[in-house]
Amino acid sequence: MLFEGFKVCLSFNNIMACFAGAVLGLFVGAMPGIGSLAGVALLLPLTYKFNPTTAIIMLGALYYSNMYGGSYSAILLNIPGDSPAIMTCLDGYPLASKRKQPGKALMTANTASFIGGTIGIIILTIMGPLLADIGLKFGPAEMTALLLVAMTSIGWLVGKNPTKGVVLTFLGILVACIGMDTLTGSPRFDFGNTYLLGGIPFTPFVIGTVGFAQVMRLMEERHNAVKCEFDRLTIKASMLDGHDMKRILPFAIRSGLLGTFVGVLPGAGATTGAFLGYAAAKGFKTEVPLGTGAIEGVAASEAANNAAAAGAFAPLLALGIPGSGTGAVLLGGLMMWGLNPGPLLFKTNPDFAWGLIASLFLANILTLLIAIGIIPFLLKILAVPVKVLIPCIITVCVVGSYSATYSMYGVIVMGISGVIGYVLEKYGYSTAPMLLAYVLSPLLEEKMRKAFIISHGSVATFFEKPIACFFMIVLFAIVLTPVVRAILTKAGVVKKKK
Amino acid sequence: MKRFCVGLLAFAMMASVFANGTTEQGGDTSFNPAKDINWTVTSKPGGGSDIYTRMITDIAKKEGFVTKNFLINYKTDGGGEVGRAAVANTKGDLANYTLLTFNSGDLMPMDKNTNNRLANFKPICLMAVDKQVLLVNADSKYQTMQAVIDGVKAGDQIVIAGSREDDYMTFKALINELGFTEQQIPYINNDSTSDAITSVLGGHVAIALAKPAASQAYVESGKMKAILALSNKRFTGVLADAPTLNEVGPYKAVEVPVWRGLAGPAEMSDAAVKYYSDLMRKVSETETWQNDYIKKNGLISEYMSCEEAAPFMVQFEKDYLKKIGKDK
Repeated sequence: MLFEGFKVCLSFNNIMACFAGAVLGLFVGAMPGIGSLAGVALLLPLTYKFNPTTAIIMLGALYYSNMYGGSYSAILLNIPGDSPAIMTCLDGYPLASKRKQPGKALMTANTASFIGGTIGIIILTIMGPLLADIGLKFGPAEMTALLLVAMTSIGWLVGKNPTKGVVLTFLGILVACIGMDTLTGSPRFDFGNTYLLGGIPFTPFVIGTVGFAQVMRLMEERHNAVKCEFDRLTIKASMLDGHDMKRILPFAIRSGLLGTFVGVLPGAGATTGAFLGYAAAKGFKTEVPLGTGAIEGVAASEAANNAAAAGAFAPLLALGIPGSGTGAVLLGGLMMWGLNPGPLLFKTNPDFAWGLIASLFLANILTLLIAIGIIPFLLKILAVPVKVLIPCIITVCVVGSYSATYSMYGVIVMGISGVIGYVLEKYGYSTAPMLLAYVLSPLLEEKMRKAFIISHGSVATFFEKPIACFFMIVLFAIVLTPVVRAILTKAGVVKKKK
Repeated sequence: MKRFCVGLLAFAMMASVFANGTTEQGGDTSFNPAKDINWTVTSKPGGGSDIYTRMITDIAKKEGFVTKNFLINYKTDGGGEVGRAAVANTKGDLANYTLLTFNSGDLMPMDKNTNNRLANFKPICLMAVDKQVLLVNADSKYQTMQAVIDGVKAGDQIVIAGSREDDYMTFKALINELGFTEQQIPYINNDSTSDAITSVLGGHVAIALAKPAASQAYVESGKMKAILALSNKRFTGVLADAPTLNEVGPYKAVEVPVWRGLAGPAEMSDAAVKYYSDLMRKVSETETWQNDYIKKNGLISEYMSCEEAAPFMVQFEKDYLKKIGKDK
């Protein structure tokens, strides 16, 4: 069936649609504030008159290649192009700015995106419906346990001062609480303001906290900015050698597998995939410490988010269930184009379903080639004077934040969170724990409360279900290991770590 | 020269009378749009409301019922409340060129969470009605509604998953009729019907409360079974086997129809309301609307003109406010 799919997607129209989607996705992904959700939502109305297969190929390529593009501004400017690229900033920007290897950072991101995406697409091809069924097994109790494990990764992000990290974590949870209670629809912390009823919008908050804060730092340091001089801004100079490939391959493969799986889970999405992919990398040795410009960190984050984007198609195509916010928009598109997304899609519209999967292979290759080709152009951004760069970035952040909410509310949120992010960083508070808590805690709250409703309040549900029990054991192991180790070290049973 | 200038000025002043944007002739008795029409949708693109709106606007343009363009604006802030408030506050001539996709699923949270009320709008029409169905997993031990009732009475932990306020109101009506409490048969709210269906497919929740459109594919594929039609009469097609509640036992049939309609600001003129109401009637009578939207989504075509829709929506709001204790 996949070969039939290739026959469908390799028509001239569909190749051009794939190419157009890939280019647009790179562009949309690179611009801070405009992510795949905004890109797909903006383009969707234009595709209503297209042939459904051509339309989904273009939008699918846009969604997928957006994951490539999101890393560019993360690496070059420390501003994530979209939320899955937040973790790419942690190593990508230090690698570009402090270690003076922007070309290598971009190439690592592209290569890891390709590897992770390929893994995701192959798994989708071989076992798409099975993957979707596995995703179904993750109900509220299972997701709660998994998300608690994910929340422990905040511990690795708190930096040298755990107290500050914990304060920021709770601040992130508090911000996430603003709006309507997901289960009862009751307003929380809205202060009678209609805008706050919808909560603090995700994209403007993230772009403000990380991106706009970075812009303010650039403004502050503009007189001290040293013009970056890079001797060789060529593709050849950016290529990864055998040693680099050996370093990133295990991380890319691991994160690719993890990201695919996370992409399948209900509500998880590429952002959660990238967080978990990066957190998983923390458990393995790297040549340089993660967070200081390690290519392994860039590879882990990028492979995971591309794999998650591919994985999200599994429940969408096999069951008609969107795995992410962007998937929900695509689902609407499927209905608009006259299709019936659901368990029968592969039977009633095999050309469409397999054409889309085949086009993801094509989009992966096309995007990689385009992405590598534009590296010298991207690197030239670093040579742009800061006084020109700042207004451009501000404009893009404003446009992106506006497009998230179709109103100035998003822009105001971006501005305020930017100021908060700037002040926090100035006083030594890393905003990464706040963002992780903000992303994960609404999902955790929703799943946990549902789990308690289903079990009529019994905690035993987290230990009676096998998958949930497994993750709870992992959680206890993660939490208790340092405590036990400290006790044993004090008792002299275990040697102290140097 | 002076006379020429005065004459020119007089002509310009006279011409400005005919350059008036609203060509309301003979007072308030007729309306014909002279400029593009703004249409507010208070949910994201790709969703049900977006599809509904685009279907109407596409048909209206294609069939030549309207010559001006529809400018669709997505205003999702505050769960859509900002968009609804903005439409309610639209004044002057702009009010005649402002439409709002308005469903029961919009009215209920608006009444529950804000002080905005239907009185701030002018109902224009109703276009379609939707009902709900109860679904179970194909291998669930509750293969009939009677089995569910027996299970609840025996103390089984049965949970119903639905989405949003309109599903919750139907759930409340159902358990009231059955004589159960929410403690006996809890309800889980989800952001979307697909989340509710996912939880049943995964075996985590026993029953999903869903619209026929979202259910058909799963019932047809054999993954789920419809055990109850929340309607006064049975559905057709793949859902035809689901009985109504009065067929299950000594109960009345339960239905809390979900409606899709259209509204304008309170300051919209009666002539403009009548115009849009007639426009929507023409759209609802087209084959494209009936086949590509109503039948395809398992809806019930139920056009109500402005004269019928207004008292219907007013009564709906009154009943809802009473149910939530905000009817003072």
